[in-house]
Amino acid sequence: MKRMYPAETVFRLFPLAILFVFLIISSPFSLFAQPHAPLIEGHSHEDIKRGERFFKGLLPFNSKGNACSSCHNLTPSDTLNWNPSAIAIATKYLGKDFDSFQSAIIEPSRSKMAQSHQDIQLQGEDLKMVKAYLDDLAMTGLSPMKPSINNLLLFLFLGLLITWTLLELIFFRKIKYRIIPVIIFAGAFGFQVKMLVDEGIKLGRSQDYAPDQPIKFSHKVHAGDNGIDCMYCHHTAEDSKSAGIPAMNLCMNCHVLIREGTNSGQFEIAKIVESVETETPVEWVRLHNLPDHVFFSHAIHVGVAKLDCQQCHGPVEEMDIMRQHADLSMGWCVNCHRDTDVKFTENGYYETFVKLHEELEIDDLKSIKAEDIGANDCMRCHY
Amino acid sequence: MKTYWRSLEELEDPRALRIREAREEARQKSLLYKSKEGVDAGNSRRDFLKTLGFSVAAATLVASCKRPVEKAIPYLIKPEEITPGKANYYATSYYDAGDYCSEVVKVRDGRPIKIEGNELSSISQSGTSARVQASILNLYDGARYKGPQKQNQPISWVDADQEVGQALEDLKSHNGRLVLLTQTIISPSTKKIITQFLQTYPNAEWIQYDAVSASGILTANQKSFGQRAIPDYRFDKSKVVVSFGADFLGTWLSPVEYTKRYTSARRLDDGQRTMLRHYQIESHMSLTGSNADVRFPVKPSEEAGMVLALYNAIAGAKGAEQFSGPGTTVDVTPLAKELLENENQSIVISGSNDENIQLLVNGINHLLGNFGNTLLWDSALLTKQGLDEEISQLTADLLAGKIEGLLVWGVNPVYDHPKGQELEAAIRKLKLSVSFSERKDETAAVCQYILPEPNYLESWNDLEPKAGFYSLAQPTISPLFDSRSVQESLLKWSGQEQTYAEFLKITWENEFFPKQNEYADFRLFWNYSLQKGVFEPGTTTTASFNPENLNAAASSLAAAKPGTEVVLYESIALGNGKYANNPWLQELPDPIAKISWDNYASVPVAYAEENGLQNESVIRINGLELPVFIQPGQAKDTLAVALGYGRTHAGKVGDGVGKNMFSYVTEKNGSRQYYFENASVEVASGTTFPLAISQTHHSMEGRPIVRETNLDEYLLKPDAGNELHEEFEKHHVTLYKEIEFKGHHWGMAVDLNSCTGCGNCAISCQAENNVQVIGKEQVRNRRIMHWIRVDRYYSGDPANPDVSHQPVMCQHCDNAPCENVCPVAATPHSDEGLNQMAYNRCVGTKYCINNCPYRVRRFNWFQYVNNDKFDYNANNDLGRMVLNPDVTVRSRGVVEKCSMCVQRIQEKKQEAKLAGRMLEDGEIKTACQQSCPGNAIVFGDLNNPESKISKLFKDKRNYHLLEELHTLPSVGYLTKVRNKA
Repeated sequence: MKRMYPAETVFRLFPLAILFVFLIISSPFSLFAQPHAPLIEGHSHEDIKRGERFFKGLLPFNSKGNACSSCHNLTPSDTLNWNPSAIAIATKYLGKDFDSFQSAIIEPSRSKMAQSHQDIQLQGEDLKMVKAYLDDLAMTGLSPMKPSINNLLLFLFLGLLITWTLLELIFFRKIKYRIIPVIIFAGAFGFQVKMLVDEGIKLGRSQDYAPDQPIKFSHKVHAGDNGIDCMYCHHTAEDSKSAGIPAMNLCMNCHVLIREGTNSGQFEIAKIVESVETETPVEWVRLHNLPDHVFFSHAIHVGVAKLDCQQCHGPVEEMDIMRQHADLSMGWCVNCHRDTDVKFTENGYYETFVKLHEELEIDDLKSIKAEDIGANDCMRCHY
Repeated sequence: MKTYWRSLEELEDPRALRIREAREEARQKSLLYKSKEGVDAGNSRRDFLKTLGFSVAAATLVASCKRPVEKAIPYLIKPEEITPGKANYYATSYYDAGDYCSEVVKVRDGRPIKIEGNELSSISQSGTSARVQASILNLYDGARYKGPQKQNQPISWVDADQEVGQALEDLKSHNGRLVLLTQTIISPSTKKIITQFLQTYPNAEWIQYDAVSASGILTANQKSFGQRAIPDYRFDKSKVVVSFGADFLGTWLSPVEYTKRYTSARRLDDGQRTMLRHYQIESHMSLTGSNADVRFPVKPSEEAGMVLALYNAIAGAKGAEQFSGPGTTVDVTPLAKELLENENQSIVISGSNDENIQLLVNGINHLLGNFGNTLLWDSALLTKQGLDEEISQLTADLLAGKIEGLLVWGVNPVYDHPKGQELEAAIRKLKLSVSFSERKDETAAVCQYILPEPNYLESWNDLEPKAGFYSLAQPTISPLFDSRSVQESLLKWSGQEQTYAEFLKITWENEFFPKQNEYADFRLFWNYSLQKGVFEPGTTTTASFNPENLNAAASSLAAAKPGTEVVLYESIALGNGKYANNPWLQELPDPIAKISWDNYASVPVAYAEENGLQNESVIRINGLELPVFIQPGQAKDTLAVALGYGRTHAGKVGDGVGKNMFSYVTEKNGSRQYYFENASVEVASGTTFPLAISQTHHSMEGRPIVRETNLDEYLLKPDAGNELHEEFEKHHVTLYKEIEFKGHHWGMAVDLNSCTGCGNCAISCQAENNVQVIGKEQVRNRRIMHWIRVDRYYSGDPANPDVSHQPVMCQHCDNAPCENVCPVAATPHSDEGLNQMAYNRCVGTKYCINNCPYRVRRFNWFQYVNNDKFDYNANNDLGRMVLNPDVTVRSRGVVEKCSMCVQRIQEKKQEAKLAGRMLEDGEIKTACQQSCPGNAIVFGDLNNPESKISKLFKDKRNYHLLEELHTLPSVGYLTKVRNKA
């Protein structure tokens, strides 16, 4: 017996689809829908709002200097800005009184800062509001990044286009050359499929991920300009699975003396000192996230295979903001295993492979790739 | 060939059973798609597919916008010895309720996650028991007390010290009796602290209480030798062992040590030509009985007559005095003859708690000249010291209100004393009652103050399990909760401000440091002792036998009586029930009955037939309803029920599981007796009680799975019983190119002669490989997740069958049937001969499960982690701390199985590569192998002709499971050799 469910399917899916679209569209706006109660004593919402306007340079109207936010970022950005970000300043001055805040702004102790702050006209009450705004910011955090909906809009638009071509082909039939809507349909549908495939492949991958870190730590300054060896900080890479994020006391080996950087001034380095003094470790944002079912060992790649760090992590010594260089996909791992020679005669462990050694002697040109000794077996990484 | 059967149903009609099993399986599968009521309650699969298309499209678009931000938080100041990603190992010791084990604890990033046996200990010799393995999970038990309490309200340590101190002073001032009730204390330092405490409070007395008592043996040895201890039983030096109801491989005194020694005297894998012969006289089928060469099922009350008859037979032959007493119907002359033939190299033991029986057993061993040869006083066992007399006096005094204060440490008399309920009321009336319990228990629940002690993995301690054999315990993690060691409390109340660690070190400096001359400096001695975990200078003791009491003992023996007798025994998993809240232990199937999550009444086959009983029927024993399990080998007119169940204050896992049988322990002549006579048994017709029986899982369809022979045949022909192996090997032909393993080819061999079936491997594997607990209902649904199971087969007469144990894990076939049916290539073969399982690739078709002839693949029918429907340890952060970070936690819908501990292989390979050397044979040890108390499992590289595994694979006893299928397993089994006369 033939059973059909088209009507049922449409009816079931339609409300779901509507709900879904509504949720996506409404999510960025819903942030404004729920104002939180003011958290700063003695300041109303209006004060905080006013503070925000000062900070963003909207007030006062005849402001000649730059807005605070033009140097002190309010949002994460992918270009380097050595100035402390708004949230960093806010956090630093959250527990401190207004006077210290004011004196830091109006009478900075460093010449570079004095230069850029010389045009500031904010004073007294206005500055208090800025402080209130920053305190509020420190307590509530940055508003979450609005998800980019360009892709989604494009996708929906293509969907509309498809609907229109179908309607045109079946009902309206206004266009003389039927081939036009057919081409549009094919193009739009093809592009949608491409989008889906692209997004699907990217799912769970994060190549070029370069988030803001709690400290503006520059690998370029440390590894590039100053030529510090990678292993100085990531010293467990040679003998442990994990390369390790250096402990704060390791930073202090140098920064016990070096308290001012050429680019960032004192502000960033002070965070390390503060972290050690208050015994709160810095919460770095993790870049290289392998899925839980993947077991990767730095020791094998760095300690045994003697690979350069750059081979996987890219030109770290040129990166001010650390960025994920490779896509860390399985294809990327497997391809490298296919091409990379094993240190077959140098390392005593490989004497186990008696037969391969015999083959090597017969054929001088042959080399043993990682794949030949099972590097691409499932259970090398998945267990 | 012998026919093997796994259950009585199969013996009667194997075909009918198979049909029933197949139907049951089909029913289970059909349940998947229907809800219980048969109503379509949720989405059907069709609905699911309908929504799938849309959601995938939408999800891919949206998901790329949001990605969870993960943090990487470094150490503030990195401790020198910790490298993130690498494990540290610390030697420490387990001691609880008489079980001692020296161990090495694996600590990853600050969390202890696995217990390994300590090779340096001459007592446990790198072996552990299932309970020791599972003790790691006790550390992360949610039922542990989070801090000190007074009347169930939190209190600070300062206030508690002040109040308890005041109460103690009050008692002291008017000489009110104060009792410190502990389990057997074998810590030399703790004993010193207790002595100090008793000096400070002259009104206090110290009583040691063992939940399962060995008082009879202690008082007998006191009378015969003047030693309140247990001699060291050297099974490894003996030729004949006769055990009267002592489950020495399972629960009796020091099972790990005894298993090591027993199996070493029964091994044949290295050209040995002799084997220990083991006679077991017992009522219920114990683990030890299942390993015996000759087993006599008798009623417990018949034991006395048999021991006396054996004594008289031997005394007659030796010309010593014979005594009159109760007789026996069993002819013991052949037994006596064999013992006399093996003078100085035999052991006779009894598990009875009756002093008179133990006196006669001492007499027998004395006549046979065993003392000084197989029974040594030099290294006497000290792990049970409780005397029943003292406990009886204490309970009487408590009930009479003669005692005013009670400090309870490590024991739970309200639960495990026969007069528990009365004690509960008496303790409530006390002026001062303090429990030092680490976790919830029945006694702590009625005490005024609960001052929790830390878990043993968080504490310092020293132990002397055997005279002259010391061992240290050190913390492997900072205390998780606000606890304080009892020793420190006692020191404080004795007016001494000192940590226990300091006290311990001073004791070692003053007392043990002078006992050696290897290290001239105490600091070195201390550090090395701590590193090794053990310090074994040994002692010498001379004890001469005093035959005076034998006549009196013989005459006061009670004769066997008619009527049904019920044996109460400790189960392998739970023991005395202290750790009933440990889900690993609850789910470990009993080695014999293969039942988890309950205790049950084992009934003899004949009795069941007479009364029309079946498994899961219900009977009433003295009014208590218990489910029935028909146990082949159960003696006529006896029943058996396990102790350790029926906890009421154990925690969410252990509460209400099974029935508490401790109240049925009888007191006879002042000693507790672990059976009761004249039980009234009636069938509760019409009712059934579901039991989680995993016995009829994994049917092997009557093929030659366990191969066995007898020693005499083996000596004539080493491949006796294994003739099929050669024949099958001849038939192995293949059309395909043979697989070549260029580097390693991992293999495993299991010596069925050394496997006692204790279940340690199952728990060890569970801890290592994040195997999840699924609960009683799912075990009943045949979904138990253990990667290694121990199959048990019976053969012969159902009234007294032969038993074979066989551990079965993934066989890593080189021609694996599972591999070529996987539609997504989630389970291919590795270059090193491993059958790999890629969870992230598996889509859950279960074809591999259906095509695996060994039934070793497990399917995750549900999400077992982070799911409140499975309310054990994996649904909370504390319980999940035990997870091994080197092994994936599997999610719903994927298949899993034994990986031969590939994470350990990878780790050791990495070490070798970093050092630039080849792997050594035996360097890699799988979890099941490392702590096996029988050394039954060997793992290694088959490509290395010098390796132990290669030699075992060439042994004439070696065969493979279902080798006729040409699956070419990488796991070999060595035939079981019995030693029947």
